[in-house]
Amino acid sequence: MAAPFHLQIATPDGGVFDGQATRLICRTIDGDVCVMARHTNYCSALGMGEARVTMEDGNVRLAACMGGMLNVMDGECRLVATTWEWKEDIDLDRAEDAKRRAEEMLAERDRMDDRDIQVAEAKLRRALIRSGVAKL
Amino acid sequence: MASMKNIKLRIKSVQSTMQITRAMKLVASSRLRRAQDRCMRSRPYYEVLNKTLNDIANSNSDFSSKYVKKREIKKILYIVFAGDRGLAGGYNANMFRMIEEKSKGQNCAFLPVGKKAVEYFKKRQREIISESFKVAGDLSVSDCFEMSRMVCNGFLAGEYDEIQVAGTKFVSVLSQVPQTQQLLPFTVQEVEGDREVILYEPNTEDTFNAIIPEYIAGVIYSVLCESTASEQGARRMAMENATNNAADMIESLNLTYNRARQSAITQEITEIVAGAGED
Repeated sequence: MAAPFHLQIATPDGGVFDGQATRLICRTIDGDVCVMARHTNYCSALGMGEARVTMEDGNVRLAACMGGMLNVMDGECRLVATTWEWKEDIDLDRAEDAKRRAEEMLAERDRMDDRDIQVAEAKLRRALIRSGVAKL
Repeated sequence: MASMKNIKLRIKSVQSTMQITRAMKLVASSRLRRAQDRCMRSRPYYEVLNKTLNDIANSNSDFSSKYVKKREIKKILYIVFAGDRGLAGGYNANMFRMIEEKSKGQNCAFLPVGKKAVEYFKKRQREIISESFKVAGDLSVSDCFEMSRMVCNGFLAGEYDEIQVAGTKFVSVLSQVPQTQQLLPFTVQEVEGDREVILYEPNTEDTFNAIIPEYIAGVIYSVLCESTASEQGARRMAMENATNNAADMIESLNLTYNRARQSAITQEITEIVAGAGED
């Protein structure tokens, strides 16, 4: 079994997780990365996507992770996310709702200015990731 | 001397005012606790971000992110946090006084947060870039990200050359100090001693530029939390003073009332005695 390392996940709303894990997979702006014990000092900004944390007992927890930063320093891993939702906390109905709303907004994109389109697209992307994670 | 009835009425009215101020004090106390909790919870988030940004800026000697570069200051943007309501002692007034002092003679624009701030800048016909953050009490993390995106875009587009955020620092329940903090351009703190070797992906600059908006949102959120806590703290103090004042007033009114009552009785007795003596 893989060696554990200390993982800390923080968001502006407070700490989400602080404990031992054996593996963390998440999406950065440069693609998916996997952090395991004794990883080199590393830093990257997070994109939006699905994240997986393998706990010490081998359980894998899934989450939807949006934006933020991943930092490994001297074997300590810190993930600072804008939002981090564990799969079991995601409200699938709400995510589907948000998805539908965003799609409806984008259906009339000819009448929207660039900024509104951007906001709607970001909403749609977040909703897609959320519902995608919840359905896994 | 005021008539007994008038004094009685006045005591009643002061009593009901006291009831209101006491209730407001209790509400402010419980909100203050909640606001302080929120402060504590958000702290690790921006501390980690701040440290990382400094590490990145220090690790690269020919570092030239567009967020760090200083340029000639033509226009300054102030993000000003104030309350939604009054009756919070000097909370709003202190904030505006500081802003007036700071922005004297500068060409500046404002992003007011909170109803009182929006009203203040509107009344003085200052340049307001958005009124979408009218209710400070309802703001959440996502609003802070929205704000961050707005100011970052404005900075990159060259609309503003410096961005300051003005909030009230919560020193203690007794004292709250308004202060400003510079958001952009980002000031790099020199790190002493040996630097750690860190692998940045895809590279330092892209990482830095991707983290900056997050960091700014984090700072804005923390200022929001501190300001809300300060507002509740200031209101709690103001309401406590008001309650004490009301209690003092009732005491002195009671004294006056008793005196009036006493003198009325004395006068009545004198009249009766005088009447009896005439027989």
